[in-house]
Amino acid sequence: MAEEFSTDGMLDMYLFENEQLLEQLQERVLEQKDEECFDEDSINEIFRTMHTIKGSSGIMMFDNITAISHKLEDVFYYLREYHPENVPHLELVEHVLEVEDFISSEMEKIRSGNPVDGDASSIIADLDKFLDKIKNGESEKEGEEPPRVNVHVEPKQFYIAPVATSASRFYKIYITFFPETEMANVRAYKCVYALKEIAEDLLYSPEDIISDERSSDIIMEEGFRILLQAQCTEEEIRQIIGVGYDIQRVDVFECKAEEFLQGFDFGDPEVMIDLESSVEDIEARTQKQEQADEELQEEVKEAEKKPEKPKIAPGDFVIKSREPGKQKKLAKDKPKGEKASFISVNVKKMDQLMELIGELVISESVVLQNPDLKVPGLNLNSFNKAAAQLSKISTDLQNVIMSMRMVPLTNTFQKMNRIVFDVSRKLGKDIEFEMVGENTEVDKNIIEHISDPLMHLVRNAVDHGIETNEERIDSGKPDKGKVTLSAKTEAGKVWISVADNGKGLDRNKILEKARKQGLLDDNKPESDYTDKEVYQFIIQPGFSTNEQITEYSGRGVGMDVVVQNLQTIGGMLDIESTPGLGSVMNLKIPLTLAIIDGIVMETGGSSFVLETSVIKEFVRVKEEMMIHEPNGEEYIMIRGECFPVIRLGEWYGMKGYKESVEDGVMLILEMEDKKVCLFVDKLIGEQEIVVKPIPSYIKKVRGLSGCTQLGDGSIALILDAGGLIE
Amino acid sequence: MDEMIKRPQNSQLTSSEHDEQKGKYMTFKSGNEFFGLKIQYVSEIIQFQAITAIPETEDYIKGLINLRGKVIPVIDVRLRFKQKPFEYNDRTCIIVINVKDMLIGLIVEKIAEVVEIKEENILPPPAIGRTDKVQNKYVYGIGKVGDSVKLLLDPDKLLNDEDLSVVEQVNDMIIEEE
Repeated sequence: MAEEFSTDGMLDMYLFENEQLLEQLQERVLEQKDEECFDEDSINEIFRTMHTIKGSSGIMMFDNITAISHKLEDVFYYLREYHPENVPHLELVEHVLEVEDFISSEMEKIRSGNPVDGDASSIIADLDKFLDKIKNGESEKEGEEPPRVNVHVEPKQFYIAPVATSASRFYKIYITFFPETEMANVRAYKCVYALKEIAEDLLYSPEDIISDERSSDIIMEEGFRILLQAQCTEEEIRQIIGVGYDIQRVDVFECKAEEFLQGFDFGDPEVMIDLESSVEDIEARTQKQEQADEELQEEVKEAEKKPEKPKIAPGDFVIKSREPGKQKKLAKDKPKGEKASFISVNVKKMDQLMELIGELVISESVVLQNPDLKVPGLNLNSFNKAAAQLSKISTDLQNVIMSMRMVPLTNTFQKMNRIVFDVSRKLGKDIEFEMVGENTEVDKNIIEHISDPLMHLVRNAVDHGIETNEERIDSGKPDKGKVTLSAKTEAGKVWISVADNGKGLDRNKILEKARKQGLLDDNKPESDYTDKEVYQFIIQPGFSTNEQITEYSGRGVGMDVVVQNLQTIGGMLDIESTPGLGSVMNLKIPLTLAIIDGIVMETGGSSFVLETSVIKEFVRVKEEMMIHEPNGEEYIMIRGECFPVIRLGEWYGMKGYKESVEDGVMLILEMEDKKVCLFVDKLIGEQEIVVKPIPSYIKKVRGLSGCTQLGDGSIALILDAGGLIE
Repeated sequence: MDEMIKRPQNSQLTSSEHDEQKGKYMTFKSGNEFFGLKIQYVSEIIQFQAITAIPETEDYIKGLINLRGKVIPVIDVRLRFKQKPFEYNDRTCIIVINVKDMLIGLIVEKIAEVVEIKEENILPPPAIGRTDKVQNKYVYGIGKVGDSVKLLLDPDKLLNDEDLSVVEQVNDMIIEEE
């Protein structure tokens, strides 16, 4: 378009929008990969998506993206126009995904500031071949003339299928300017611009009103004509256009969808398509139309009759370009001005807000637990009321900011869908992919950390877990393998599991490999290892039972990366497997990282905090429950169960902690099925704590994961149960 | 975001105040000596406050304090200099310094004054002749103020334990440059 803009500011928006479009595209394609062919809706949507990407890439001058999306658009144009049969559907799916990959990788280059230099020509050539193939198959059968496919990369040509909703209405609008009006083209453009706000579809003639100055004369002679599809009344249109000093008359006619789709009463739809025609030709034609202006219906029929013109099927028409991007719909039930229900916010600002709320939570506890309040004889009734109100608001505030950071797992899961598709195709396995609970919401920074682990797990499931088709038939299993990705929230944690119905983990193979790598304890017979312990070996770095290294897995990296990534966010991996029936990888991940519920305790005059969820129970114990080993290790028997004991004061070599177990408190901690007892002097209470990192100047201390500020302003260290148990 | 906004202002400040700050040193007493720190490094001086000890760290790292919501580590300068520990009291102060965008508190016995030391009055530390050579690595120069002498500290060296010889080499280079 002729508007002036700097591409710098638009780049982010371009990337953002196209990324979303591509995600939706992929989702839709994968949804229908197992069907016979794409349904009408999908074809239209893919077409539209490509069209939009082509348009915006054209504006941003990423020529290779423009070219490739244009080519795919052509393919879908053909599909939509001629409904060819015998389209090799899987091949088509692959082509679409190929294009999607190409564009994604180019966008990645744009994002990182590299030159956009990907070579699209081979993919375009493939698409050409593919298009030829479906075309030939078609024209031989039906003897139809080959479809018009716009071959040139010409971002100004747009085919758009209308998003027809029942509430949409169709209008023909004629604007007549006063004879002495200057720059009628610019004024006409103003109207178009205003209408774009409400338009679902919009086309106008003359088309080139901004860059072509002659259009001004044409507008003056013939008036300016607009076809509009929108959810609004005639009155609203008149209001939007407005009759100003330059507009003499506005005529608005409502028309039927069919008429609307017939292209236009401009007579010849080719005027819109045919950019190669000389200007004289177009002018000649427009003069012809001039006479016919009043007889709209007839003109339309005439246009239909013209034999040399390609038949325009309902559902298509050709319009002049308009800004690509999302259509702005004027929803009937919403007054104008309330349209912007979403805004995108810089994550940094969110983090800042989050931090401030964290501070607020701390200051609140500083106020509410202020020692000044402990003076005896104070009447605090109204203070306590006010304090309760304050606590309520700050809790709400915290919940709101948390929910703002929550993002559904849908996108992450969709990516896995793609991986299953790619890998299973390459390996020749027939695999079904199922997603359960993909709407589960997780903190944004956690999502970033689980994408990679999930990818490894899903690949493993497809590559190692599921047998080849032959193996499956041999073992009498349903021939389709199945990978299920599910998510749920439970007890403040997110549980994500990757399940396959493949062969399961081979205990003996793993043990054999573990022995080779010297991971087994010589004094422990193999039969003593529980299944769980055996499965834990596969998360060792460099551990792979697969003799053959495939493209996707088998190098032995992967599982350890999975576990490492999970540990950084405080997550855990749990492996279950039934030989012959498949295996399940369970990921347990905290919902959020920033604010946790903690128990504050004291030992040797120092405060410590432990995450509430790892604490199983608090017990007061008696000296006779203790078991002392000669080597100094201690155990405790509680209700017939024996736990190792860690005395926190001793662990950190502190002074002045309580020696006798009868004076302090035992906490039973449970993590990854391991239980220990932690002995501390006393408990202080439960508090929501804001996790802060320990300054980097201080080197990592075993068993500490961070620090936090307590109600009295002092600092407590956050204990990391995992570190203590190890 | 906030930092981004603040920093340009700060740099402006330092550039306009640069002349004013140049050659000025915050001096404090530790043991029998007086030490000096370039005033640009000093962020603020705060009263002594409760310190949360961190286990398993060097003895001179006393722990963490809460500076208006920021958690900063504090080190005891006397212990750092391998001098005898001293009792903290109400008059004990913490100098908060900013080294490479890291805030760190220094517990010092007694804060003296801000003095101006001209470059010509700064001498390189004697390479030999001092018995406790250990100190040399933090001290990059000796400033003369009237009759007294201040040991000028390199805060970066003060915070990080590095190989002595390397430190001395670097020190020599710095001195040559100056």
